[in-house]
Amino acid sequence: MSQCRRTIMLAAIGVLLSVAAGAQEYPTKPITLIVPWPAGGSTDISMRAIADSASKVLGQPIVIDNKAGGSGTVGPATMAAAAKPDGYTIAQIPITVFRLPLMQEVSWDPAKDFTYIIHLTGYTFGVTTSAESQFKTWKDVVDFAKQNPGKVTYATPGAGTSLHIGMEQIAAMAGIKLTQVPFKGGAETNAAVLGQHTMLQADSTGWRPLVDAGKLRLLMVWTAARSPNYPDVPTLKELGYPMVYDSPFGVAGPKGMDPKIVAKLHDAFKKAIEDPAVVATLAKYDMVPNYRNTEDYKKLVVEITESERKIIERLGLAKKTN
Amino acid sequence: MDTLANVAHGFGVALMPINLLYCFIGVFIGTLVGVLPGIGPISAMSLLLPVTLSGTPESGIIMMAGIYYGSMYGGSTTSILVNIPGEAASVVTCIDGHQMAKQGRAGPALGIAAFGSFIAGTFALVALMLVAPKLASIAIAFGPAEYFSLMVLGLVVLTFLTQGSMAKALLMACIGVVLGLVGLDSITAQPRLTFGRMELIDGIGLVPVVMGLFGVAEVLLNTEQVIRRDIINTKITHLLPNRADWQASAGPLTRGTMLGFLLGILPGGGAVISSFASYALEKRLSKTPERFGNGAIEGVAGPEAANNAAAGGAFIPLMTLGIPPNVVMALLLGAFVIHGLQPGPLLITQNPGLFWGIVASMYIGNVMLLVLNLPMIGMWVQLLKLPYNVLFPLIILFTILGVYCSSNNVFDVYVMIAFGVVGYFMRKLGYEPAPLVLAFVLGPMLENNLRKSLILSHGDLWTFVQRPISAACLALALALLIAPLLPALRKKRELVALDEEA
Amino acid sequence: MRSGGNAKPRLNNSELWGGLIGLALGGFVIWSGLKLKLGTINDPGSGYVLFYTGILMCVFATAIIVAAIAEGGPTLASRWENARWTKPALIIACLIAFSLALEPLGFLLSSIPLMLLLLRLIDPVRWSLAIPIAVLVPLGMWWVLKRLLLIQLPSGAFGIG
Repeated sequence: MSQCRRTIMLAAIGVLLSVAAGAQEYPTKPITLIVPWPAGGSTDISMRAIADSASKVLGQPIVIDNKAGGSGTVGPATMAAAAKPDGYTIAQIPITVFRLPLMQEVSWDPAKDFTYIIHLTGYTFGVTTSAESQFKTWKDVVDFAKQNPGKVTYATPGAGTSLHIGMEQIAAMAGIKLTQVPFKGGAETNAAVLGQHTMLQADSTGWRPLVDAGKLRLLMVWTAARSPNYPDVPTLKELGYPMVYDSPFGVAGPKGMDPKIVAKLHDAFKKAIEDPAVVATLAKYDMVPNYRNTEDYKKLVVEITESERKIIERLGLAKKTN
Repeated sequence: MDTLANVAHGFGVALMPINLLYCFIGVFIGTLVGVLPGIGPISAMSLLLPVTLSGTPESGIIMMAGIYYGSMYGGSTTSILVNIPGEAASVVTCIDGHQMAKQGRAGPALGIAAFGSFIAGTFALVALMLVAPKLASIAIAFGPAEYFSLMVLGLVVLTFLTQGSMAKALLMACIGVVLGLVGLDSITAQPRLTFGRMELIDGIGLVPVVMGLFGVAEVLLNTEQVIRRDIINTKITHLLPNRADWQASAGPLTRGTMLGFLLGILPGGGAVISSFASYALEKRLSKTPERFGNGAIEGVAGPEAANNAAAGGAFIPLMTLGIPPNVVMALLLGAFVIHGLQPGPLLITQNPGLFWGIVASMYIGNVMLLVLNLPMIGMWVQLLKLPYNVLFPLIILFTILGVYCSSNNVFDVYVMIAFGVVGYFMRKLGYEPAPLVLAFVLGPMLENNLRKSLILSHGDLWTFVQRPISAACLALALALLIAPLLPALRKKRELVALDEEA
Repeated sequence: MRSGGNAKPRLNNSELWGGLIGLALGGFVIWSGLKLKLGTINDPGSGYVLFYTGILMCVFATAIIVAAIAEGGPTLASRWENARWTKPALIIACLIAFSLALEPLGFLLSSIPLMLLLLRLIDPVRWSLAIPIAVLVPLGMWWVLKRLLLIQLPSGAFGIG
């Protein structure tokens, strides 16, 4: 009980002090980090590792709140609509937060509704097929698709994800037509390609144990350089598609956050992605820290939005203005 | 014989004092969160995930697994006592379990649920050890077309859950499907029936719907009866199932276990489908189907066994393919990865100590759960002796807390209250909530898989007949639908009419 | 027992009204489905399944209506015969008030009065029992959730809870 009373007193003092001295005492209570993906996925686990390390720097626990849905936009959108900009609610910002507004009516504006804090890392994407499949290389897929337009099916973790957009872009460049089958996440796409319900799978590194076990064949990766784990697998660039897809992500809070709080969070997360334990967890998913500070992240958001706009328009997926 | 050596090795790992301790903590927490409706294993596991980081991978994962199957034991408690299913799989347990409690037989109901869970859980583990690698192929044999047909079969089975009019049950099922489709379309990411509300983008939560339709509506119905102040008969004859109960339950337990284990292997919805498929099966096989819905112990034993066996079956795709069949398994996968392990085809060969250790710890955990739960039955039954005017505000408070904790969202509390009111009027007009809830769970999967299979087959409907598993499901559904429909319709309507005259 | 001979359409028939509500809902679902686009058979749109479910709803609702007209059914009033309908109505009113108060007042300040109302209004529990239950149970649950499970309940404008 004395512990309880002490906490109450501390909290009371904290409230008084923060009224008196602004952000000086931040953080005085646990911080909620919204992860807009289901628990147990690659994003969830890497964000948990990062949050665990950052909470040690901040001296307050960071509680993960999995608000999945809408290709990773429901969480940030809910935050933008409802949370106070007090630094106690922040969210992971996947690239779909910038992309979906270009494709349909949404409730948020990526340029206005967020306070961007820090850019953290990105994914490794790859295209796989069943080990029993007729496709040995990506070229086999292209040859087959040229003779059978639309017959090649691929599983993605959702419409509008980088995997969907990326595959459509590749198909456009190769002059072939592929059919997307949107699933809900890595677990489902793994099962779909393993059971040969779809011919290909385009997803982030959730396929890794199955590729290692020889049940799936990795046809290409979408990173800038070859993955150290799969030195024999070509990148998009090597296959003649001058693109890199890594779907970079960072964290942000609701609009109007105090710059001092932003700086505190930035410093804590920066230390976290330098933590060797975090780097090791990220490496399990072939993720590499890709640090950018608050200012650079803001610029990056503008760049990404512009490049996405071009791609979406070229693919004919842009929202209809009526 | 190789297996035997492995099992021995596994028990060696599981019986280490530290692992025993973690196992106990896990099943204890699991029982706690299982009893509190709404606070499911998911929130408990994600909270405790960081805690497990300090120990060895074995202890961490043993604890997480303990929380999972521990919560499966606890899940039936509130269904039986106060008609609040904590999760979709317990909806069926409500139907007969709560009736038993009203007749003063809460003890046997809870007892058979605990023993049934134990027996089914143990069987599932033996099967997991012996045939896990061979059954992995089942999990991936199901593509969109197969799932669609399985869901159709599931919806047809629904019609056996009802005591009243078939048309009403089917109408409820349709409403359930529609409610399940609210939110972002999983294929085109287009909002559907959200009426511009941000909270509905993610769809309507299962927990508020279930707690409203069952928990709150039940309270409203009970309070309008002045005579039945003590809703639950306080004459409690015995605490544990007697010989007659066991004789009645033996068959349902066995069949429920088999059904649950096989359906549990399927990613998505296995546990839910298996629990009500088992109920429907028992009702069909029973010589006295009219007892179902009025406190038949078979209606508790079968589904409880099925849903616990399904929990065991769910480990197969995770351990052998690294494919988590549900959210809880996905969290467990997260625990594996954080501890530096990759569940997948290589897990069992690369880390035999871990795999067999976990399986052995689950045996031990099941025994612990039985020991932990049986004495608690007495305590739970005492709870029912509370006068109803004290009990019902507590029930309402627990449903509110449970709903809030399941999503940390006040909107869900509103949803629950709304469904409580709707559920009250539904019950007054003779519409049953169970078909609605089950269709609510199956509907989105049905829709999603139908659309995916049509994309895959380029619009060819024959795909559902050409694929053998799919065709078998559809044939079974058709047979079930045609054979009993005509006489049943007539008989049931008479039953309803009689009720109304009385 | 009623038999086929004297069945007459009665408007004051709860079955009929249930069916009509079902029919209206079905119509709404069909309309929503159409609005969301049906798509084509090889790429069904967002409204595809809604549309067909709506049609099924109308079919079942019509079946209920036909049965209600042909066979009659209990009147709405008879459903509430011998029932204290005021009690559920009171609980519903309390719950609505609670849901309005929950966010502005926070969990503790809204659930304690709710408990007190429920304990005293329906089948009055004596004050000496009602007050301790209404205060201690929400407080205890709040403490367990906040301290042991780290779940933050709504704290409201006054920051209590």
